[in-house]
Amino acid sequence: MSFRKYLAVFYKEAVDNLRDRRTLLTVLVFGPLFGPLFYTVMMSTIINRQVADLDQRYTLAVQGAENAPGLMDYLRQNNMDIEKAPEDPREAVKTGKRDVVLVVPDSYAAALRTGRPAELRLISDKSRESAGKNVERVRSVLENYSRSIAVLRLLARGVDPRALSPLAIEDADVSTPKSRAVLLLGMMPYFLLFAAILGAFYLAIDSTAGERERGSLEPLLTTAVSRGTLVLGKLSAVTLFSAVSLGIDIVALLWCQRIIPAAKVGISVDLTPATAAATFLVCLPFCLFVAGLLSVVASFTKSYKEAQTWLSFIMLLPMIPVLGLVMFPMEPAWWMMLLPSMSQDVLITGLIKGEPLKPLFVALSVGSTLVAGGALAAVAVWLYKRERILG
Amino acid sequence: MIEVKDLMKSFGSVQAVQSVSFSASDGRITGLLGPNGAGKSTTLRIISTVLRPGAGSVKVDGMDVAADGNGARMKLGVLPHQSGLYPRLSARENIRYYGELNGISGAALDRRIAELVELLEIGEFADRPAKGYSQGQKIKVALARAMVHGPRNLVLDEPTNGLDVMATRALRALIRKLKDAGHCVLFSSHVMQEVAALCDEIVIIAHGRIVAQGTPDALRQQTSESDLEEAFVKLVGEEAAA
Repeated sequence: MSFRKYLAVFYKEAVDNLRDRRTLLTVLVFGPLFGPLFYTVMMSTIINRQVADLDQRYTLAVQGAENAPGLMDYLRQNNMDIEKAPEDPREAVKTGKRDVVLVVPDSYAAALRTGRPAELRLISDKSRESAGKNVERVRSVLENYSRSIAVLRLLARGVDPRALSPLAIEDADVSTPKSRAVLLLGMMPYFLLFAAILGAFYLAIDSTAGERERGSLEPLLTTAVSRGTLVLGKLSAVTLFSAVSLGIDIVALLWCQRIIPAAKVGISVDLTPATAAATFLVCLPFCLFVAGLLSVVASFTKSYKEAQTWLSFIMLLPMIPVLGLVMFPMEPAWWMMLLPSMSQDVLITGLIKGEPLKPLFVALSVGSTLVAGGALAAVAVWLYKRERILG
Repeated sequence: MIEVKDLMKSFGSVQAVQSVSFSASDGRITGLLGPNGAGKSTTLRIISTVLRPGAGSVKVDGMDVAADGNGARMKLGVLPHQSGLYPRLSARENIRYYGELNGISGAALDRRIAELVELLEIGEFADRPAKGYSQGQKIKVALARAMVHGPRNLVLDEPTNGLDVMATRALRALIRKLKDAGHCVLFSSHVMQEVAALCDEIVIIAHGRIVAQGTPDALRQQTSESDLEEAFVKLVGEEAAA
């Protein structure tokens, strides 16, 4: 095999495909930026919904406010404005006009005076997650009010209010901010591998099925270059495009981490440039694997269209182990390192968690993925040596 | 010099070529003539090493295509049925790619490309992407590409297909020029007039077999027909010619 000829094939495929707008958009934009954008929007939405802004005054709709002037004062002191509830409070909540409506029955004042439990009704829609933070806010103010009345009553009877709290339960959440972040960052390996696959997609088709459909394969095979050299040059170009897409994806995610107000939910993500670089290196063998997989499948197909149909399906295959780990979380084990895509998934997740990389795991992952990629490359070379490659 | 001896090739149960022998010598234009599906393209594909011979042998300048494909390809320039240019590359880039694949580089390649651009008169559109080329322009560039490594033997599979009259005339003139330069030109066609106008030697093939070969005059004598087309029909049989 001649290295110069190999470079000629590699260079031609890269330059030729850089002139194709669809390939270029996929490699530079759609592949790498879909994940980070999706992630940013999702994260921001989750964060904004979870964190009620306690400094902001909330306007609470109340039916029968006149029955409980003391409670209304208390609510106002707790940063809430009171407004009259709509005619049909249930309907208003159901249709989403109000997050929550407080109903004070006429019996409230009498019950409170005589020391019986005074009934209050909070109307909310639990299926609406966005309303959750406001419902919780109102409920906790009401509970505080209830507790302060109880304390006053006990004091009036000469009882120590602490009798009300036989248990002092303290919430101790052992998840560190980083491991909590992993829950939210669980999607990241998926995005990264997706970017690597999409980056390889069109070039893999163009350099195999596309070449045959254009009728450029036959003259190509009459040049004094071995078919092994041809295939390796093409595979290298596909691998490069895949790696470029992956690299852009990582940089974009790195940048997204900076602008997302993750600190608001107590999550400290430090995807540092160093972890980003390690992530990139750990995923590089996967680019070769994907290039081999897509090229081999595309070599079987008769036309560009057919290749596209097949590859859209094939590109989901590497995602199966990743989704499997999302649905059935397992401790990282050495055997996972033998499966391309699953091994990268496990390693990336560890890196994001801030855990040190295990050299054995990395060696197994890189080794097994390269072996699988090499085997696929060998299959591709074999396919090109058959006469049927002309279709 | 291309020598084909007892060539056979089958695809599954279909015998595409059965026992084909002929030779094409340097400084001569040899036409492979036959109706559609006669086995012309298969024969040319075996000569150009894209297909392997089922039996028999092909030698290019004495080099066996089955034994040393790369060696034979160095001595061959091939223009297949479809021009197969890369649409996003310019003519120069298309030619340069093949030059590099055939082991030429640097100043030698630059010189060779300039020569070919001159010879084939493609300077006018040489730097535009091949996407917008006319059929005639495509054939010229594909021919330049096939000749970039200076092969003595040229194999052209129905080169005038889809060309208009002017382009066909220009291509014929070019093929004659190549013959005068000492090249061995082997080309296939299913058009009688074309072969008659151009060839020194005609090989008629039908149903995967050679039915006649010789100079145009010799073929006319052999069939005692003064018209070459009648001679052709007589040789391949009414059925195959239809």
